[in-house]
Amino acid sequence: MISIMRSVRRMRAVFFARNLEYLRDRASFGWNLVFPVLIVFALAVVFSGPPRPLFTVTAVASDSLPELLEFPGIEIISADRSKALDRLSRQQTDLVVEVVEDSVRYWVNGNSASGAILELLLKYTESRSLERGETDGEAIRYVDWVVPGILGMNMMYSALWGVGYVVVRYRQAGYLRRLRATPLTKFEFLSAQVLSRLLVTLTASTIVFVGTNLILDYKMVGSLGLLFIIALVGGLAMITLGLAIACRTESKEFADGLLNAITFPMLLLSDVWFSLDGSPYWVQMIAQVLPLTHVLEAARAVMLDDAGVTDIAIHLAILVGFCTVGMGLSIKLFKW
Amino acid sequence: MVTVLLPKIGPVMPEVILSVTGLEKSYDKVIAVAGLDFDIAKGECFGLLGPNGAGKSTTLAMLEGMEDPTRGTVQYYGGPLPSDYQTRVGIQFQATALQDFLTPFDNLKLFSSFYDDPIPMDHLIDQFRLQEFLHRDSRRLSGGQRQRLLLALALVHNPEIVFLDEPTTGLDPRSRRDLWDVVSALKADGRTLILTTHYMEEAEILCDELVILSHGKALLQGPPKQLIADAGVSDLDTLFLSLTGETLVKTQEVMK
Repeated sequence: MISIMRSVRRMRAVFFARNLEYLRDRASFGWNLVFPVLIVFALAVVFSGPPRPLFTVTAVASDSLPELLEFPGIEIISADRSKALDRLSRQQTDLVVEVVEDSVRYWVNGNSASGAILELLLKYTESRSLERGETDGEAIRYVDWVVPGILGMNMMYSALWGVGYVVVRYRQAGYLRRLRATPLTKFEFLSAQVLSRLLVTLTASTIVFVGTNLILDYKMVGSLGLLFIIALVGGLAMITLGLAIACRTESKEFADGLLNAITFPMLLLSDVWFSLDGSPYWVQMIAQVLPLTHVLEAARAVMLDDAGVTDIAIHLAILVGFCTVGMGLSIKLFKW
Repeated sequence: MVTVLLPKIGPVMPEVILSVTGLEKSYDKVIAVAGLDFDIAKGECFGLLGPNGAGKSTTLAMLEGMEDPTRGTVQYYGGPLPSDYQTRVGIQFQATALQDFLTPFDNLKLFSSFYDDPIPMDHLIDQFRLQEFLHRDSRRLSGGQRQRLLLALALVHNPEIVFLDEPTTGLDPRSRRDLWDVVSALKADGRTLILTTHYMEEAEILCDELVILSHGKALLQGPPKQLIADAGVSDLDTLFLSLTGETLVKTQEVMK
């Protein structure tokens, strides 16, 4: 019991020291808050104009697609039926078509004018029998879709650099060696770093989330509590990944390279800025091994579709797996 | 003159606190320490003297328990180093960064929290004259202020043995003398001090016993005055020159 109390006391001391260091580094602290806000506002301005005059049709894997889809100005995306209908209900696509033997099934969103026009065109141009389906759902603006991406990206940078880079800097400067000469254990040190950065990440994300929502009023239909849990588990997954990278690295330059090698694929493949629904299968498979993908899929499901805990359980389970592996590797391999 | 008010840790006993036997350390094919044997008596100030690359810091790291020897042993009161050895020793490293943006006060508080029964902070602040820069960002301290802070951090848990790795390197003459006063006061408390230096004058003033190292080997061991007298030379630098053909002063100049 006494040993646990000692351990907690030492962890708490390192935790507060790290928080102090971060809070007094006003440039980093400010940047972590200002940067994502700037991006959200910039994108809100850029995409605030009228919708582009372009029809988007999602085709469920079929061979002989309707003639209508050969018309210019129509973008075709392939997806499985479930994903296609999800997109339709968010009005990210105007029409979903699926050819079954000699008939064409199609779905439109009852709230979509573009869908109604495409339906009319399809009826005039298609000789095969038509089978109609309908979904409903309000259109989401780009800003609604991109906000989780920006919050997730900010969390990723804050977690990976705030822990990974800082631990390597401590090691290179000899500070870890100094701590090693005290009774502080690896576990205590690493736990304090994780908790401190988690607090920073969650606080910054909450401030940015609330602040930008007050002004932009983006879509948030799900549970705030569940969104917080996603941020908590997602933040932990990224932080422990950063720790695993830093556990033996001695050079800041090398750490920089490693961190970039991890953040870049996430930035490109985890649906931060644009959906990868229409991308090749192998790209989507790579995206599934990146923690940010699961953070964003879960966050968007909650924010845009009011998903419950069972709907996003798989994402949470994968993120918990990342945390366990990351922390386990860090404790096992950590060198002062 | 600095007055050290640290709690007394008992009378000085002429017993061996650390005993080094056949100590060796090599990194890949580089031999840093090539077989050292010596004893350190409790309460004495023991110096490891030699130029850069002589193996002083590596030897010190093994005595501190921070590095494992490749061969040989370091014994504490005749036995292996105990598991709580780190709570019995205080270490001032040659080059230690502290957390950015933390003040000496924050650092004292942090390091005090690592131990069950630390010396009261006010006590340390007085002893090491930290008051004047107590709330200044540690990155903005002068060399002497920084060394005083590092020494205070090394002593925060009232250790039995204090290791000082080149504590005055890079300090101006006044700061160096300040630190000598602190070290002398610690010695007067009955604490065992083990320091490395390449300053002859420092070794002569502070050390009761010293080992002169060159290329990882001990060339001579004994009290400074006795070594000088036995060799029939005027000072340690001349003695070192006669042993190795090089002077420590030259080494210092190259470093500057």
